Amino acid sequence: MTSLMRQAGSTPMFERRQDVIIIGGGLQGCAIALFLARAGRSVGVIERTVAGRHASGVNAGGLRLLLRDHREYPIAVRAMEIWSGLEEFVGRAGAKASEVRLRTSQIAIAMDSNEMSWAEDRARDMGRRGILNERLLDGREVRRLLPGISSRVLGGLISEPDGHANPANAARAFRMAAAAAGAHIEEGCRVQGLERTGSGLWRVETDRGTAEAEIVINCAGAWGAGVARLVDETLSLEAMALSMMVTSRVEHFVTPVVIGIDRPLSFKQSAAGSLVIGGGIAGKPCLDEATSFTIMDRMVSSAAATIDAFPCLSDVPVLRTWTGLEGVTPDGIPYIGPSVRHPGLWHVFGFCGHGFQLSPAVGEIVATSILSGERDARLLPFSVDRFKAGQPVRGGGDDAAA
Amino acid sequence: MTETGTSSSPTGAGAVAMDADVIVIGAGPAGMSAATELGAAGFRVIALDMNPSPGGQIYRAVELNLGDQRADPVLARALGRAYAAGWPLVARFRNQEGIDYRPDTTVWELRTDGTVGWQRAARGGYLRARHIVLANGAMERPMPFPGWTLPGVMTAGAVQTLIKSSRLKPTGRVVLAGTGPLLFLLADQLLKLGVKPALIARTDRFGDKMKALARLRPAALPAIAKGAGWMLNLRKAGIRTVTGVARLEAVGDDRVREVVVETGDETTRLPCDTLIVHDGIIPSIDLAQGAGLAVEWRAGDASWCPVTEQSGLASPSRGANLSAGASRIWITGDARQIGGADAAAAHGRLVGQTLAARLEAAETEALTAGPARIYARAMAPRAFIDAAFPQGQTSGDLADSTIVCRCEEITAGTIRSKARQGATDPDQLRGLLRCGMGPCQGRSCASTIGRLLSEEFDLKRPPRPFRGRPPVRPVPLCILATLESLDPELVSSEALNDKPDASGGIDSDV
Repeated sequence: MTSLMRQAGSTPMFERRQDVIIIGGGLQGCAIALFLARAGRSVGVIERTVAGRHASGVNAGGLRLLLRDHREYPIAVRAMEIWSGLEEFVGRAGAKASEVRLRTSQIAIAMDSNEMSWAEDRARDMGRRGILNERLLDGREVRRLLPGISSRVLGGLISEPDGHANPANAARAFRMAAAAAGAHIEEGCRVQGLERTGSGLWRVETDRGTAEAEIVINCAGAWGAGVARLVDETLSLEAMALSMMVTSRVEHFVTPVVIGIDRPLSFKQSAAGSLVIGGGIAGKPCLDEATSFTIMDRMVSSAAATIDAFPCLSDVPVLRTWTGLEGVTPDGIPYIGPSVRHPGLWHVFGFCGHGFQLSPAVGEIVATSILSGERDARLLPFSVDRFKAGQPVRGGGDDAAA
Repeated sequence: MTETGTSSSPTGAGAVAMDADVIVIGAGPAGMSAATELGAAGFRVIALDMNPSPGGQIYRAVELNLGDQRADPVLARALGRAYAAGWPLVARFRNQEGIDYRPDTTVWELRTDGTVGWQRAARGGYLRARHIVLANGAMERPMPFPGWTLPGVMTAGAVQTLIKSSRLKPTGRVVLAGTGPLLFLLADQLLKLGVKPALIARTDRFGDKMKALARLRPAALPAIAKGAGWMLNLRKAGIRTVTGVARLEAVGDDRVREVVVETGDETTRLPCDTLIVHDGIIPSIDLAQGAGLAVEWRAGDASWCPVTEQSGLASPSRGANLSAGASRIWITGDARQIGGADAAAAHGRLVGQTLAARLEAAETEALTAGPARIYARAMAPRAFIDAAFPQGQTSGDLADSTIVCRCEEITAGTIRSKARQGATDPDQLRGLLRCGMGPCQGRSCASTIGRLLSEEFDLKRPPRPFRGRPPVRPVPLCILATLESLDPELVSSEALNDKPDASGGIDSDV
């Protein structure tokens, strides 16, 4: 809570006290800022490098309900509504640049009987919960929807409302919209201290000056646990460098996004024709230096899973790889909720590699909760103290998946 | 001396078997010399070469062209003594015990801990050695001007490749344009092959030679006499030359038909079938940058070079890196600093001897004095050449409509306009425009983007080139899927657990 930069910290960063300061200028921070600023609150966003530089800007841009954790479902459904009417939130230019494509489907493919029986269980479970967008496919249907797929495919699950967007442009669109709504976004500014003053305000110390606000929201992504540590709050988070590879352009052959069930497989064909291949490949994260490295040794199993499912892609060359830093929680769903130790502090981070789709709705719901003073019920499963009460780490009371 | 050692993996945890004492990447004059010295000292060397036979660019196919009855006397005479000098180098390299030569092998990743990612035909994998000698040479500076992507426009290096490896020569009306010694060497070779260029359009000026005289050193005289000889031949042959070309354009629909050359006061339009361009050469820094090695700007020849000691030992860039620990990479030849074949061979010997001494834990100074002296002599003319033939300013101001990134067809105007909107570094431009994302991995636009940004913001030196990540060359999925000799420590470590329980769980957008 003390700062080495206390002298430099005497310069105020913003002209006046802010109602809310958001730490982290990713898609999530900018989305919350947008909804708060639109409601007339003064908002400052403090970003260490460039807004959208990490997970927000370099993910694969999936807009997916398919295989969502059921606890995320209500938020994900609202997020789809925002994505489909994005212009209302980020303006025409921002919406156009975000290249939102919905109803192109995402399909999880079952290549063996274990995966197929898992898909059948999942479909039954979703049906029981009244979640009806996920539909079981047989092998013939999958082969019709995914030309070029191996004849060994047994079936899969499809979510037809799903699609994708351009993540870097969408992050930028929310940043611009937040700024246009009046949020002050300070880039290249590193938070070094956070403390509550005697008057009950938060004082944020940075290498570029200090700022005061009634409420602070920690949207620091992979660095979220570090920000929490500034106020002696321990939230378990692993930083991961999620990586992807991109091939040369091939003739357009597949519209849906394809993901694996037990396999490190996830790919889509971009508008340019290149294939963007992921599947949770981990690179080397370097949080302190705010960078990460791809590790080709770990791309091997994803490459194998891709050509096992699509033998026709064997000779397609991989041109490049990339990676971005993301925070992963022990139970695979994010922290979204007020601090249990400090009033006026919220934590919204740790989206485990699937926060892109959720972010606009989380922004809206968190903003509404803060404005009304009452936490929206949809956020309750994500409370930051959920591990303290002795609950199981994985959701649904089942054993953790291997 | 040939026992296998082990190295710690990038995570610092595991120990992986060594494939050799030293892996040499590239078999041009520098790589062959280093490998030969190391082999002679009794070390086990693996030499990886992208080409089918040793020689690099300069001595490409020298065994085929000069080696046996198939030799073509006209070709041999045209390629001259400078080319023939490669013959004994190749012969020594071929005959040296201890060198495992692997032709047709592409290297797509380098790590500072001594790991090399390779591909040969349908196989690929990793090799590891206690030290790596990076001798991957140079590339021609990409030279954009209106029409440069038309069929019929070629670089001087590409023409030399066709001459040496396929015995093909240009026909019809040939125009040469640009600057640098290679342009005159090629013109001289073409003459000897019976091809008379219609015009040599030079971007350098007479004034440049005057300025360059101040940098003339006595040791440079033999090289300069050689260059003067080429020029004299061209003059005797009556080849028209213009200097001070401010604008160049290739005109044509499906291929180049005409070339437009503007000097200060005069515009020349000339029918043309083959336009051969050259704007000097720059070190190939792709592997070094991908390995996280530091690079620095050299104003003299307007190029980025790896940061190395005189011995060739390279330094990791500041900050985080994939591999922890000291660098095991030694860079030599034109990949380190442009100096030409003689300098490359001398520096390659120097690196080979230094490294052999290092491996034997012996004193290095006495050994390397010879190659160091030859290297210094070979480098002596560089300051004069750099000043006399200033590079990287071809065709003056680049018209907005000129394509800069060939892979994604992105123009100078688009790049300038994004730069004005705040994208001031190449990585930001790449993210916004896809420039540098194509199969060439930015090799053919990086230097031009640097130049555009320098001009736009009036910078003394261009911003750092694109960040490099593996693979720096395309690797087919089927080869990636079956890579050999993975680092077990790296493979076994975590991946995102992205299988939800059937009743809920996690998954990834990635």
